[in-house]
Amino acid sequence: MSSDYGHDDHHPSAWGPHDWHHGAPHNSWAPIIMSAGFAIFLFTLGGAYEWGEFVSSTYALMIFVSLGVIGLGILIWWRQDFSFDGSYEPKSFGAPYQNIDIRKVAVWVFLMSEMMVFTSLFSTYIRYRTGIENCKTVFESGNWVEGTAVTCFEPASHLIASSWFHLAPGAINTFALIISSFTIVQALRYAKKKDLDENTRRRKVTMFLGTTWLLAIIFLALKMIEWFIGFPTPGPLTELNHGHTEIASLYTEGYLINADSYQHHYYNTHYFEDHDMELPAGLVGHSGGQMMADIQVSASTFYVTTGTHGAHVLGGIVVLTYMTFKAMNGGYTPKNAVGIEYFGLYWHFVDLVWVLVFPFFYLY
Amino acid sequence: MNTKLSRGLIATLLIISAMLVIPSTTSQPAGIEGIGSGGCNCHGPSPDSRVSVVLDGVPESYNYSETYNLTVSFSGGPTSPENMNQGGFHLYTSHGELGVVDGTAQVWNSNELSHTEAGNDQTSWDVTWKAPQTDSNVEFVLHVNSVNGNADGVAGGTSGDYWNRLSIQISGPIEVLEQADPFVVLTVLILVSAILLALTLTYVFYSRDPESFDWEKFGPWISDWLTTTDHKKIGTLYFVAGLFFLGVGGIMALLIRIQLSVPGNDFLTQEQYNQFFTLHGTTMIFLAAMPMINGFANWMVPLQIGAPDLALPRINAMSFWLQPFAAILIFTGVFSGAGADTGWTGYAPYVVSEGAHAGTTMWAAGQILLVASSTLTGVNFLTTIAVMRAEGMGWMQMPLFTWSIMIANVMLFLSIPAFGIGLIQVFLDRVIGTAFYDIAAGGDPLLWSHLFWYFGHPEVYVVIVPSFGIISEVIATSARRSIFGYRSMVYALAGIGVVAFIVYGHHMFTSGMSPSLRFITMLTTMLVAVPTGIKIFNWLMTMNGGSLVYRTHTLWALGFLVTFTLGGFSGMFFPSIAMDTHLHESYFVVAHFHYVLVGGTVFGFFAGIYYWWPKATGKMLSERLGALHFLTAFISYNALFWPMHRLGVWGMTRRHHTYFVTTEEALGSLPMEAAGWNMFISVSAFIFFFSNFIMVGNMIISSIRGVDAPADPWGSWSFEWMTTSPPPTPSFGHFDGEKWHDLPKLKDANDHIANEPGVIARWFERLMVPNDELGGHSE
Repeated sequence: MSSDYGHDDHHPSAWGPHDWHHGAPHNSWAPIIMSAGFAIFLFTLGGAYEWGEFVSSTYALMIFVSLGVIGLGILIWWRQDFSFDGSYEPKSFGAPYQNIDIRKVAVWVFLMSEMMVFTSLFSTYIRYRTGIENCKTVFESGNWVEGTAVTCFEPASHLIASSWFHLAPGAINTFALIISSFTIVQALRYAKKKDLDENTRRRKVTMFLGTTWLLAIIFLALKMIEWFIGFPTPGPLTELNHGHTEIASLYTEGYLINADSYQHHYYNTHYFEDHDMELPAGLVGHSGGQMMADIQVSASTFYVTTGTHGAHVLGGIVVLTYMTFKAMNGGYTPKNAVGIEYFGLYWHFVDLVWVLVFPFFYLY
Repeated sequence: MNTKLSRGLIATLLIISAMLVIPSTTSQPAGIEGIGSGGCNCHGPSPDSRVSVVLDGVPESYNYSETYNLTVSFSGGPTSPENMNQGGFHLYTSHGELGVVDGTAQVWNSNELSHTEAGNDQTSWDVTWKAPQTDSNVEFVLHVNSVNGNADGVAGGTSGDYWNRLSIQISGPIEVLEQADPFVVLTVLILVSAILLALTLTYVFYSRDPESFDWEKFGPWISDWLTTTDHKKIGTLYFVAGLFFLGVGGIMALLIRIQLSVPGNDFLTQEQYNQFFTLHGTTMIFLAAMPMINGFANWMVPLQIGAPDLALPRINAMSFWLQPFAAILIFTGVFSGAGADTGWTGYAPYVVSEGAHAGTTMWAAGQILLVASSTLTGVNFLTTIAVMRAEGMGWMQMPLFTWSIMIANVMLFLSIPAFGIGLIQVFLDRVIGTAFYDIAAGGDPLLWSHLFWYFGHPEVYVVIVPSFGIISEVIATSARRSIFGYRSMVYALAGIGVVAFIVYGHHMFTSGMSPSLRFITMLTTMLVAVPTGIKIFNWLMTMNGGSLVYRTHTLWALGFLVTFTLGGFSGMFFPSIAMDTHLHESYFVVAHFHYVLVGGTVFGFFAGIYYWWPKATGKMLSERLGALHFLTAFISYNALFWPMHRLGVWGMTRRHHTYFVTTEEALGSLPMEAAGWNMFISVSAFIFFFSNFIMVGNMIISSIRGVDAPADPWGSWSFEWMTTSPPPTPSFGHFDGEKWHDLPKLKDANDHIANEPGVIARWFERLMVPNDELGGHSE
């Protein structure tokens, strides 16, 4: 019971805010509310959709309720933490790690399991990438008949890396994340600087955290453009884009998790004739036409892996929102600047994973 | 205050009445009343005896699947051949299928039919009824209108009509006793257990302080439990949840055993049986064993390493609260009668096929939450053990229980993300329609097996390794000497932790894995016996030099040594590919993993409960009841699982809802004795289940009027015994706003050991060990 921590006149509320000078832990409503929210979220998601079909709008509405419940839990958590000024920062007191911040160790340990999350996703990718014949190989070998879908692996990079324009959102995102890794370190640096006056530090830390937040938002926005929206090519550059005025999103291209009869202009013998290209050897004497492909596995792998990474970015945005607000109120001082470092470790990890996801899913 | 009290009382009454109503509404066979209002378009307010209704052709007892011709007819009432319309009827049957012969009747559902427009001017109709394929008590309900025709001058007028009702019960070749749906049985039992649990907890709370039992005090008390971040309270919550689900899993096991007690039984249908064994496995592993481990770890790890609390107390609360909600998701399917039927392994592609029950989606969702919970737990404990040990306590001074929790969490932590990703893939396949395991689209079911068993095999070590830790503590204390070969114990634990990751292929010997991989996993699996053997021999050597004090926890530890070793022996049959191919999916497997998971894990838990209960509650448990619990449970446990080895060798398959015995030498049939052995197993299962209530009773009695426990009732010497029973909060030291003060140092423990009784004193004490409740230590 928290009242046992020191002073008798101390009555902490489980709804926050805390007086951290009395140490930790304190009772909190956040865990039970957040857990309930996550459970309702999964329950309503499973009720709203079945086998990719939308089945119930009641459940769909409830998804938003569940997000509200999760948000409430997060708000309580933050409300308790907002007053945290570093006066209670647990340090390791056991050998051989004396005076290490124990939460920093915790973040490192957590990243260990995150590593396994992405390892599992990459295992899935490697299994399917190497185990299922590539669509291009199938097409060029001529082992297909027009009108019957062949099951093959179509890497997203076949679409994305086909032109600089297609690649642009992913490429910009890579730099956005790398720059955000830099800005979060800058935020930490200014928060730690002892010789700054309070106001300057507040401004600098807020600015750099805000920039990191903005870059993360840009990342997700570009991802949505790349997946669902597409974008027009600027006039003078249309020439370079084979005369097309628009870069189609993956959605428009039909690169979807339920694409059991996916068609791509390249997988068409007429494309070769129209462009005066030489037919691949395997297709000589083939009846020709448009090859249809069942690419559900490839698309699932692509969307779920990049989506998991996107979910991590989203989590980062949620935390950055809180941190920016706290910084605005002068919450970060040299005494508790290490909080930015904890988040920075996670953020660098997310950046690092993108550096692996990008070549595997976008380039190669 | 009175308004608040009455508000609380009204809320409680409402909850209790809701709990009573919910099962009773689901257990009504959807029914006769419903038919009366919706099915019979009865003309007139109440039945009239002037109409006599006849249902001809119904047999006294039916033959399976035979079709009978029934004739519905009536006489009396206002009907007469001159009328434009003469009558109508509605027939309902609880089982079997109704059919029509001509255009005078129409089928509504397979079990409901009525007349048609064309059949309106008749007083008798011919219909057919196809009897069900199994034994059941069949009920026919017939409603008939006797129509006076055109009284109003318009067809369809109903004034002046009379109606009556007839109900007939028949049975099949074998009469079936009135029987409830097993799901209703399970649901009611779960709800009753939950209510009993709540009542017991409330009573224990009440009995501690009857004066303050009012809403004013109860509200803050309960909300303190819901919001607590204290490792000891969370540990208690884990225990309550874990023991509750141990009971629920046990109830499911009993229902399974009722089904299997005689050959060809139909207590459970195949569909129900599949759900029961799936949920039995999932419940026992994830909702009973894991929470109990976390309960022990939460309680004891900070105490054993001299830390005030865990590193991240709020994250710790989060780990706990994810579990009850996950349990609700996992069980949603059961309450709707369509729970997961995939086995706890949830093999693809069945798990993502539409053939698998709808509840499978939520079963996967619940486990995703459990994965999140385990990950947070892992972060917490690894951090705590790495950085919060008392001054002077190096890695090699850590108590073995803390070591075992550390190794278990390393294993869990590094393997469970694979399972989590697999579950997310399954969940997404089922919900938004991705195609990870859709074979037609090129998905690979073996990928799921790999992801699952990469987690699944370390997982079974995760649930056994903490028991190793408990047994190490208990045996060292009971033998009154330090553990033999401490370093080798640590290395053996670490060895298990490493080997755990490279053996999982032995679960997939028959799944078409490459032969070279099979050979490698055969070797690595056999390797597991080495560190485990080291531990067994070290425990034996510890006892060899010491003089054993027989307390209840000692008995359980000795029981553990026997049963776990036997389970280990039967386990050594499986690495051999040839043997495995023969024994795969047989009861031999069931016997093996229950010998290690019950005889190993659960016996270890029991030892731990009896060992640490005085520390946690400050009250002693009764040794006499403890010994009774050990004797009944140990004997019935062996009677329950030992014969399963034999059934397995005979070829009885697991996961099949029934079996048949024969005197002939036929492929896939069991000898006649198998029926007797199955009945024996079922009876033993009931005894084992109920014997554990001796422990529950012991706990309740101890909570109410147990003897106060001293700080160190067993004469042990690790840190947890140096603080009071129950320990204060924070468990050690105090925080003054700047720093922690008065944290323990390992030196203290050494002092404590130095004050242990010497050789002569120990010899003297052994002579003097009395049969009292205090274990011979009067402090």
